[in-house]
This record gives sequence, structure tokens and C-alpha cells, in this order.
Amino acid sequence: MKQIEISPVTRIEGHAKITVQVDDAGNVSDAHFHVMEIRGFEKFLEGAAVEEAPRITPRICGICQTAHHLAAAKATDQVFGLEPPETAKKLRELMLLGQYIHSHSLHFYFLGAPDLVMGPDSDPAMRNVIGILKSNPDLAMMAINTRKIGQEITGVVGGKPISPVTAIPGGQSKGLTSDDVNKLLPRAKEAINLIEKGVEVAKPLFEQYSEAVEALGTIETHFGALTNGDGIEFYDGPAKIIDKSGGAVYEFAANDYLDYIEEKVQPWSYLKFPYLKQLGFPDGNYRVGPLARLNVAGTIPTEKASELFAEYKDAYGIAQNPLLYHYARLIELMYAAERAVQLLEDDSITGTDIRQGLSGSLMTKEEAKQSSETKRGVGMIEATRGILIHDYETDGAGFINRANLIVSTGQNNLSMDIGVRETAKAMIQGEDVSEGFKNRLEMIVRAYDPCLSCATHAIDGSSPLQVDIYDSEGQLLRKHLL
Amino acid sequence: MVKIALEALASCAGCEISILDLHEDLVKLLDQAEIVYAPVLMDVKEVPEGIDIAIVSGSVRNEENQERLEELREKSKILIAYGTCACYGGITGMADLYTSEEVTSRTYSDNPSTVPSELPNEVVPELLSIVHPAADFTEIDGFIPGCPPKEQLTHDILIPLINDEAPDVPKKSVCADCQREMEHIENDKIYRRVEGDPEPGKCFLSQGYVCLGSVTLGRCGGLCTEAGVPCHGCGGPSLDVIREPSHDIYNGVIKRIAHISKMPEKDVEKQLYDIGHVVYGFVIGSTIMEDKQVSLIPQLVKK
Repeated sequence: MKQIEISPVTRIEGHAKITVQVDDAGNVSDAHFHVMEIRGFEKFLEGAAVEEAPRITPRICGICQTAHHLAAAKATDQVFGLEPPETAKKLRELMLLGQYIHSHSLHFYFLGAPDLVMGPDSDPAMRNVIGILKSNPDLAMMAINTRKIGQEITGVVGGKPISPVTAIPGGQSKGLTSDDVNKLLPRAKEAINLIEKGVEVAKPLFEQYSEAVEALGTIETHFGALTNGDGIEFYDGPAKIIDKSGGAVYEFAANDYLDYIEEKVQPWSYLKFPYLKQLGFPDGNYRVGPLARLNVAGTIPTEKASELFAEYKDAYGIAQNPLLYHYARLIELMYAAERAVQLLEDDSITGTDIRQGLSGSLMTKEEAKQSSETKRGVGMIEATRGILIHDYETDGAGFINRANLIVSTGQNNLSMDIGVRETAKAMIQGEDVSEGFKNRLEMIVRAYDPCLSCATHAIDGSSPLQVDIYDSEGQLLRKHLL
Repeated sequence: MVKIALEALASCAGCEISILDLHEDLVKLLDQAEIVYAPVLMDVKEVPEGIDIAIVSGSVRNEENQERLEELREKSKILIAYGTCACYGGITGMADLYTSEEVTSRTYSDNPSTVPSELPNEVVPELLSIVHPAADFTEIDGFIPGCPPKEQLTHDILIPLINDEAPDVPKKSVCADCQREMEHIENDKIYRRVEGDPEPGKCFLSQGYVCLGSVTLGRCGGLCTEAGVPCHGCGGPSLDVIREPSHDIYNGVIKRIAHISKMPEKDVEKQLYDIGHVVYGFVIGSTIMEDKQVSLIPQLVKK
């Protein structure tokens, strides 16, 4: 028995490794995707005034902070019994669209695309955004500009591009002025043009690498995404679960998630494995994120994205192959830019009624100690990587007693693990594995755009890529660095 | 070509994003410098020799983080602690408010959506109990706090460093950048952030809200207060607080509130409702802040 180890998995957010066990006959007997970190956020939110959660939780993840900011804000709205005015909801959605434009373009161009643009077997030293900058500067500048527009939108609406602050209990702390709109609207329109060019470059790649699309990490699962009836939805709505053929199985509101989602712990990963409670583990495996959202949604209500969506649906139906996450991500990127334009052209976006304030006074800490009253708020949102749930239970004064977070990446954990294992079994024979093959295993993980700061919370550093060779008794024979 | 390495230890990657937020300036920077190591962006899996500038973000949570930090120190001419986590432990330092067992049991064995289980212990590294800033282990040539540092600041620091010149950085507090007007008031109540409706343009302290602008290093442009939200201290302590052994974030903000509101300091202390998360939120893991004689951090941490 020998073990091949890929560590760290690169061009993903956070620390992970892949191990592959090879038996004495040279066949893969097992393989796993390990997450090397654990988050402490659930615990250390305890004791915090719940209105601080929207400021604390963006630090779970520096890429998808806006989603945490808004999930937390939605949970605090509920704890205090407040309903944000329509303009505030639109501002929050716009902030989230900025997040989508930044995160999706970051992932596609900077992290994922190098495997497709340069090729899975290309020189690892060039297989990155800097390599693209040298070989295809126009594409790299397009990537940089698209992401910049997303950050500008989040920065203006959220106060800061990284870890925004304006979502507060009951609405927003700051509205948009007509000057803000005049600044952002042309930029959002420019994003549409940039994304169109990006799609032209990207679409042929899926045909060029159709073999990899078919072969890498293929799995059939249920899917989960928020829904607003039939359309794609990022900010608010019940979660809808469909089976692998697209049939609706469940629909549930944020506050009922515990009846539908359960998590399993495996001893070899800090990241838990959520599954559909009523179907059990592993039958209840489901996926979230761009692929799931496009499988759940029947329509996309913007012009260019709906055209792309129709073409994608014709080609793939209920898409299952992880590499199609990249394709779905591009379609969502287009939708995000078009929807941002719609919101910026909506006169009510500059409305001044942006917050429902607290009526009446809060219990003091002392009164809360004497009282048995508790409050609960559950915020559910589509983060770029899929359904994200923040669940807070507080005392009567609104200080957190218990927090539970279900993060997007966790819900794809089992599919990443199975995908890596099955692909390793199909592709690997013997212990000498080429760099390109190892990179293909990483490509499966990369397709899901895992966010391991979210998934856990960073505790671990990474080690150089090394292969440890063990004998059949599990004794380490030799280590060598690659 | 100047060789740059980027490494995230226990980090959220926000610091790496802030460097990417140089946008087209990043392209200009790459005319003068090359990134030779950055696991989040490229497939170089081992730290190369001969790095000129290593930029390390995140806190140190285990031996592997520590080893990596020391390896970067050995292989780099200039080592920069980038972001509030690397400088002061950052928001993840809040984990020190609880023991390791409390933190892990809440995730794995006492959690409403999880089938109760033992802590994972195969293949994954064992956890350490405490958050450390980078300077606890090695000599640091430059500290750039901020959560994350603003892209303009990063630009203004990296460009001179690449050209072997000393960067000139602002030294004022957030208050210096904040456009809100401060005024003395008669007030005997501290409000939680969810209470009331703060007036735009008026200092948060003058309205009874806890704002850390006066004790926080201001290189952010006062963005939060401009957006209608009091300062949370994410930029780390102001130079006054760092330099003076008798100055601390907690006593600094209490003195400031007492001075503005004419409330006795004792009454201010009684009303502060969440010291761990609101006052010391970004520095609980900081040895410098914990060692101050007046610091309340030793009373807050359970580790």
C-alpha cells in the first residue's frame, strides 16, 4: 500500500490536500479530499451583541464576505423583528451582485481558467493568471477590469469593497445618491460588454476540453438553491431541492433548515459533510452553487444571460459534470452584471427610506438574565458558492447564546471527495503519477471553487507538495519533494 | 526583477484580495517585480530561495504556520506582516475567549445540525490552543495592519519597497480621516448599534455610540464612519496606544467617551456591553496588547 499526496491544493481559497492510496498491484484503493482547518466562529460569536455579527462574520472569508455580511444581517433583522424597506432590500441585492461580479470573475479568470486556457498539462509555472497576463494580456486585462467593477459596486453600496459594513438590523446604514448611480451605472454596463468578450473566449474551451468535462469528477446528485418561483434568485427566498433528473423534492424556508439538512463528521477532514436528512448519508448528497442554481432555476430574467442559459440547457440539461460549474459561473456573471444595471436604472434605488428602526427599548443584560425569553434569527442567502445559512439564537437582550453556520462549500464536500476518489481510480495506475494527472485531481476540486476559510476557519498552514511512500504496514519508506 | 512571495497563514484571504485590488496597478507592479510564490494564485508548491519581499497574512495557529513563517524569514530579505491578523492576531483572536475544547465541541459534538462526533484526528493537523501574531515567532521588517489594508496604502508601500526606498505611511488615527463633527454633550447613556438612528455628519461618540476611531490607526480613510457605521478598530491600535505602556484601547475609548459626554468614567465602564467583541475584537491575540498593565485582555481570555 502506497500513498500519493497532493499538498497544498493550489489556486483555491484555503488549505487542503488530496491523498491517494495505491495498493500493491498499483490500483487505487482509496482517495480523499481533506480540509486542514477548523473555524471557531460558531463558538466565538457567543456572547456578542447580535447586531455585531454582520461586522464580525465577513472575516470568515475575504472573498465572499458580502454573503456572510448579508446572511448575518438577515438573521439580525429577524432577531429584532424588523423588515427592511424595499429600497434597502434592493441595495443589499446590488451589494451582493457586486460580490458575484468580483468573486465569479476572480474564480474563473484567476483560479480556474488557467487550466483551460493554458491546458491541464501546461507548465505549472505558467498555469496561472500571471502566465495568462504574459501570453494573453488582453484576456488578463479583461479579467482585472471585470473584477474591479464588482469591487466598485460593493465598495460604493457596502462602504468598503472587502468586508462591507452598511447592512444593519432593519435595513441599510447608507443609501445611494444620484451621483453614486451616475458613477456605477456606466461601469455595470461596461461589465456586460467585458463579460460578453470573456464568454466568447471561454465557450470554445468547454468544447475543446469536452473529454475532461466528461471524465473529471463526474457524479450524479441532488441539487439545492434558493428560488423565487421559477427564476434564479440570489438574495431571498425558500430553498428548493431537486433530484438528479430535475424533479422537485422539497422546498423549505430558512427557519426550517434543521428539518432538511444534517451534517456528518469524518475523522479525516475538519470540514463536515452536509446531506439531506430525510434521505440519510450518503444517499442524501446534494450540491449547491452555480451548477445547482442553474439546474434549479427555470428562467433567468435578463436578456443576454437568458440566451446563454438556453444554449447551456440545450447542451447539458440537468448538468452534472463539475467542470460545467465554470460554464454556469460565467452565465451567472452575465446575469449579475445585467441585474445590476436593472437595479441601478430603478429610480427607487436612490430612495431614502432604507431602514426600519427599533421600536421600544431593548432589555438590559440584567433583565435578560432574569428572563427566560430567547430570540432566533436565521438568514439564508445564495453566496457565490451556494446556499449559506446563519442561525443565531440570542437571549432576550439580543446577545448570542448559540450560533450555527451552514456554509456553501461544506455542501459540496462529499461530491468533491467522491469525485477525486472515482477519478483517481479511473486514471491512476501505479505510484508514478505525472504532474498533469495530479493537476486534474486538483481541477475537480477547483471547479467547485471551494472556499475553505468559509468552510472551516483557518488554523493550518500548508506544506510543500510531497509524496510520502508507505509500505503495506503503513511504515513511511521515503518522502520526496516534487 | 524583485522577487515577491505571498503567503496566507491562518487567514481569510481578504489580504490577498486587497493586493489583487491594486487592479491594473498590479500589472504595472509586475513590470518591476515577479511573484515567485503564492499558493492561492499559482501552482508553485514549495517556497523558493532568494525572495526579496515576503508578504505574510493571517495569524499563526499551529506548528506548520510557524515553520512556514520561519522558512519565509530565512529565504527573504524583507518580511512584512500584512493585515491585522499577522500584526495583532485579528478577529480570529476572538477564539481565545473560549477554550479549544469549547470551540471544537460546538462544531462537532454539540451542534444542532450535526450528528455528534469526535474531533477529526486522522491526516488533519492537531490544533493549538492560541492565536499568535507573526511577530511572536520571528523578526518582522514591516507591519501593515488593516482588515484588509487599503489598496492605495499597499500601492504606496510596495512601490517604494520594490525600488529599495523607504515608504512614507500616514501615522494618524481614524478620527483624523473622519468627516463627522465632534461636539461635547450632556449624555448619560451608551447605546447599542441597533438602537436609535445615528445622525449623519455627527461624531458617533457625541451621539452615545461606541466608536473606536480615536484609538485606531487610520489608514482606511474613515470609510465605515462615512458609511454610517461606528469604527470597529479593524485597523489595529493607534500609534499613541501602541507606544504608551499606560494607553490601551479600552481605557482610551472610556476616557474619550467620558470627556465628550461628561459622564464619569466608572459609569461609562458599567455600560460597556460587550468588551470582547466590540472593544478588543481585533487584538485579543496580541501579545503587545495583552501585556499592557491596564489591559483587560488577560481577564477575557480562557486560554
